[in-house]
Amino acid sequence: MKLNFTHTISKVLLLVFVFSSCSSNLDFDQVNDLKLKPVFVANLAYFNVPANQLINDGELEPFYDVSEFNAFKDKFFRDNLVKAELNFEVENTIIRSFTIQVMLLDANDQVLETDSYKVPAYSGTSNIIKYPTEVFENQRLDLLKKTAKLGFVVIMDAGPPLDASSKGSLKLRSGATIYMEIE
Amino acid sequence: MRKGYLILFIVFQLSCFAQNKQVLYNFTSIPQSSLVNPGADVSYKFYFGIPILSGISGNLGSSSFSAYDLFANNGVDFNEKVRNVINNSSNKDKTQVNQQLEIFSGGFRVGGRESQSYISFGVYQEFDFLMYFPKDLAILAVDGNQKYIGKSFNLADLNLRAEVLSVLHVGFHKKLSEKLVLGGRAKIYSSGANATSTRNSGFIYTGQNANSPNLYNQVISSNLELKTSGISKFTKDEYDGSIPSDIARNTFFNGSLGLGLDAGITYYFKENLQFTASIIDFGFIKQSKDVETLTYKGTYNYKGANPIFTTVDKPEDVFDEFNKAIPRDTLYNKYTTWRPTKLYSSIQYSFGESRSDEECNCKGSVNRRYVNAIGGQIFAMTMPKEPYVALTAFYKRSIFEKLDFKATYTIDPYSNKNIGLGLSGTLGKLNMYLLVDNVLEYKDVSKANSLAFQFGFNFVFQNSED
Repeated sequence: MKLNFTHTISKVLLLVFVFSSCSSNLDFDQVNDLKLKPVFVANLAYFNVPANQLINDGELEPFYDVSEFNAFKDKFFRDNLVKAELNFEVENTIIRSFTIQVMLLDANDQVLETDSYKVPAYSGTSNIIKYPTEVFENQRLDLLKKTAKLGFVVIMDAGPPLDASSKGSLKLRSGATIYMEIE
Repeated sequence: MRKGYLILFIVFQLSCFAQNKQVLYNFTSIPQSSLVNPGADVSYKFYFGIPILSGISGNLGSSSFSAYDLFANNGVDFNEKVRNVINNSSNKDKTQVNQQLEIFSGGFRVGGRESQSYISFGVYQEFDFLMYFPKDLAILAVDGNQKYIGKSFNLADLNLRAEVLSVLHVGFHKKLSEKLVLGGRAKIYSSGANATSTRNSGFIYTGQNANSPNLYNQVISSNLELKTSGISKFTKDEYDGSIPSDIARNTFFNGSLGLGLDAGITYYFKENLQFTASIIDFGFIKQSKDVETLTYKGTYNYKGANPIFTTVDKPEDVFDEFNKAIPRDTLYNKYTTWRPTKLYSSIQYSFGESRSDEECNCKGSVNRRYVNAIGGQIFAMTMPKEPYVALTAFYKRSIFEKLDFKATYTIDPYSNKNIGLGLSGTLGKLNMYLLVDNVLEYKDVSKANSLAFQFGFNFVFQNSED
């Protein structure tokens, strides 16, 4: 009798736990809906060229520089980038006006896109220009993704000559805002 | 592939186990209680566990969210749920898994009929997993850094360890007097797979200063290290075996070896006032098989491209610079891991003498038996960040001589109303036990932050049954 009761109790207890435990309806397929949409900001390029480096003898030969830019070699980055914005900010304290060109080049040095920014001459007052954001979406983004090098060209407009004692500098700061969608 | 990892991660989350065995502790009618206190006042002529079925335990929980929070079929967008989980979690929230399976176990009394010395032994397999919620990295993955200018994302949030091991143990306990039981257990660990990444530091920072040459001040300072043992060969392309069977083989036959010690005491201040304490898994494993350590150490200040407009063209690539500044290094050094050491202690007051019945007298024992016991327990376990501490109040009752019941109320990091129930009964020589924890959560297990269960079958032979 006693054993029987023991037996019954343990059976009942076991059953209580097996059957009284419930669970809300869960849907694990929701994992497939996971979509991360992080937005990153990062430096793109910067320079600070003193006036005495831009000495010219009247010839308006542009100054240029090409930097390797391998971010888009990364397939993960390329595949998940949905939008990019580039911001340029220039401070000119040189008494000449400039045009700065930013070129996107592919691995074979073919120019994909050229963007020009007019920089007014320094006249003694604050001379910081924030250019409108360059937005890369759709086809323009596809071109951006082929970019392997960044080219910078500084073209000096006509004006008073610069020599070793010329004052001021041409500063550029630029950043990128990167919109990713990772599924 | 990333989804695969996520699913794996969630499976881990769902099988979260706290290691506190508050229901089993000092439940001395169950021979396995000597695994949580080798000095438990357990007595038998001999016993053996039914192989594989003598001790099966698992728990389930995570301190900051439940399966329901993520997977409820309630129309809320999954990404919204993920975001809520991140917002509601801190880097101290953890996911813990502990699973144990006794392969075999047994014990016997040594030194004649009147002796009160016992040897017990066995082999069990254990899986341990602990991960803290990587809050800052989760924010970075979900939001990016744009909204967090000026914040340092802490790489120390990445903190996890995992291990599969088998444990061969031999214990000895002796009732030195009516008041005192002492016991100890030696353990040989054999670790089939270990991954440890608990000492990370560093940060990812994006700041903005007006007068700097760059738009942003971006620094990654990384001191990341992942040590593995018994795992690296699975990551190689040429590997074409079966991972579970290889891990199982390594766990039992070809693991990294270690040594450990358990010790425990039971002391009766009075016949009905009992104190116990134990230390479990004070030991280490020398990780020596198939070891591989990955590190990312260094500091990188990202500035972007810097055209200089001189004829000297220095081809620079910022991403090469990154790899140089924070290189991925692979080391092959052996390393030592410490087992999570557990401490238990309890105090118990017994009352209500049982009516003497014939079975009791057969034992030839003059001990009084008490029907009821109440008391408190404390549990603590070492963890990478801060110790896990749980407090338990319990009530034990002998329903019959061979049917014991224990109820516990525990406050732990997962819950402040964790009610556990345990039943141990003996039918003839067959001892059966079933212990469950967090019973309130069984009304909807998907909302549980932690669940634990434990059951097993033993054959126990007592003196009186000679």
